[in-house]
Amino acid sequence: MKLRRCLSLIRIGIMENLQWRLSIIITFLGNIVYLVIIYSLWNAIYASSPADTVNGMTFTDTMVYLVLAMTIFNILNLYIVWEMGRDIQSGQMIINLIRPMEFRSYMFFSSLGGNIVHFFMVFIPTFIIVNIITGGAIPIGLNLVFFLPALIFALIIYYFIDFLIGTVCLYTESTWGINIAKEVTVLLLSGAMIPIAFFPDGLKTVAAYLPFQAIYNVPLRILTERDLSVQERFFMLGVQLIWVAVFYIASGLFWKKSIKVITVNGG
Amino acid sequence: MSTKIKKRGLAFYIKIYFKIIAQDIKSKMSYRADFIISNLGMIIQHGASFITFWILFQNFPSVMGWEYEEMLFFYGFSLIAMTPMQCLFDNNWFLRHKVYSGDFIKYCFRPINVFFYYISEIFDLKGIGLFTAGTAILIYSWSKLELAFSVLTLGLLVINLVAASLFMIAIMNLAAATCFWTINGGITMVFAQQFQSYARYPITIFGKFLRFVFTFVIPMAFVSYYPSLTFLSPDEIPLLTWLCPLIGVAFFLLSYFVWMKGAKNYSGTGS
Repeated sequence: MKLRRCLSLIRIGIMENLQWRLSIIITFLGNIVYLVIIYSLWNAIYASSPADTVNGMTFTDTMVYLVLAMTIFNILNLYIVWEMGRDIQSGQMIINLIRPMEFRSYMFFSSLGGNIVHFFMVFIPTFIIVNIITGGAIPIGLNLVFFLPALIFALIIYYFIDFLIGTVCLYTESTWGINIAKEVTVLLLSGAMIPIAFFPDGLKTVAAYLPFQAIYNVPLRILTERDLSVQERFFMLGVQLIWVAVFYIASGLFWKKSIKVITVNGG
Repeated sequence: MSTKIKKRGLAFYIKIYFKIIAQDIKSKMSYRADFIISNLGMIIQHGASFITFWILFQNFPSVMGWEYEEMLFFYGFSLIAMTPMQCLFDNNWFLRHKVYSGDFIKYCFRPINVFFYYISEIFDLKGIGLFTAGTAILIYSWSKLELAFSVLTLGLLVINLVAASLFMIAIMNLAAATCFWTINGGITMVFAQQFQSYARYPITIFGKFLRFVFTFVIPMAFVSYYPSLTFLSPDEIPLLTWLCPLIGVAFFLLSYFVWMKGAKNYSGTGS
C-alpha cells in the first residue's frame, strides 16, 4: 500500500518533468554557458601553470570532475526550499499537512521523479559524451556499482538539508536569501566549484568533517578515481550513511517542533 | 499602443521617480527580516566566490599573467557595475508575466513614459548587499595592489562604473524586451543572467572567438574588463576602454528604443 503510493508519486513527477521540456532545454543552455566558463578558466589556469599535474589532477581530470559535478547539480537541485516557501506563503501548506502521508516523505517521493528524469536526460548523455571526447577518462567497471548507491545517498542527504532549510523558512517567511546561502555553501564545501584536492590543508580537514563533501566529492571520487580500494569505497559509503542518519533524525525533529509553532496564511 | 505622451521635463520625472520608489521601499520595509536575510544571502553568495578565487590562487600563482588581486579587482568592479541593474531595473524580470497576462496594458495608459513608469515601480533592496560585497572586494584589491588614489582616479572610477553599469542594464533590457515578440522570453532572461558570470573574468582567458563575441556581440567585457584596465594598466589603456562611456550610452539608448518599440506594438490580451 505504502509502496504503491510512493510509486504513483514518482510516476506523476516523471510525467510532469517530461511535460516541461522547456526547462530541460534551459538546463542544457545553462550548462553550455557554464561549461564555456570553466573550460576557458581552467584551460588558462593550466596553461599558465609550470606543471601539468597539480594536486594529482591533470587538466582533463579536473574538467571531467567539474562537468560531472555540474550534472549531479542538475539532478539534485529541484527547488525544494522554494516550493516549501511558496506553500507557506500561499497557504497550500495546510493541504500538504492533511495528506495521508508524512509531509517529508510526500515531498521526497513527489520530487524523486524529477531527479530520475534529470539522471537519464542530463547525466547519462553527459557521461557518454565525456567518455567519448576524453577517450575513456571515466573507468567503466566495479566503480559504477558503487557509484549508484553513492549518488542515491547524496540525493537523500541533499534532500534532507533542503528540507531542513525549507523548515527554517517557516519561521522567516523569506526564501531567497536563505536558499542562496545554502546553495553556495553546499557547492563550495562539497567540492563542486573546485575539487577538494585543491583546497589548502586546513580547509581540506574542515571539509572532510562536514556533511557537504558527501554530496559531490564522494560520488565523484568513487566514479572517477581508478586506484581506490574496495575498502576505501565501502568506507566512503559508510560515511555517507552516517550523514543520511544524522539528517534523517535532525530534519524530522526540527519539522515536528516547527509545525507546532507556525502560522499558515489563509488557505 | 500609440498614445500621445505630453512632453514632460526631467525635473518632473525625477520628482515622480522618488515618489514611486518610496512607496515600494515602504511596502518592503514593512517586512524588515526579509530585507536583512536577502542582503545577508547576497553577501554570503559573493563571499563564497571570493573564497573560490582564494583557493584557486593557493594552487596557481597567476592566470594568464593576472595576479590574484587583479582578478579580484575585475570581480569587485563587476559586482558594483551590476548594482544599478539589480536595484533599479529588477522589474524587467516580471515583464514576461505582465505581458502574457495582459497586466502590462495598465502602464500604457499613464500619461508618462512607459519604460520609465514600468521600471520605476520596483526598487530591489538586494542591490545593497551586492554593492557592499563589490565595494569590499574592490577596496581590498585596490589597497593590496597599491594603486594610486586621488580625486582624479575617483572621478574616473565613477565614470567607468556608470558606463559599465549601462552595459549591464542594456543587456537585461534587450533580454527582457524579447518577450514582446516571443512567448518564451523567459529563456533569454535566464540566459542573459547566466552570462553575467562571464563579466567577472578578464577576457584574455577566453579564446579568440569568445573574445570577439564578448566585445562586439554580447558586450560582457565592458561590464568589468575594459573599464578596469583604466586602473590596472594605466600606461597602456586600449582604445575600447576610452570609448567605454560613449558606447555605453549608445548601447543603453539602443536597448531603450528596442524596449519601447516592443511596448508600442503591444496590443494587450483583450481582457
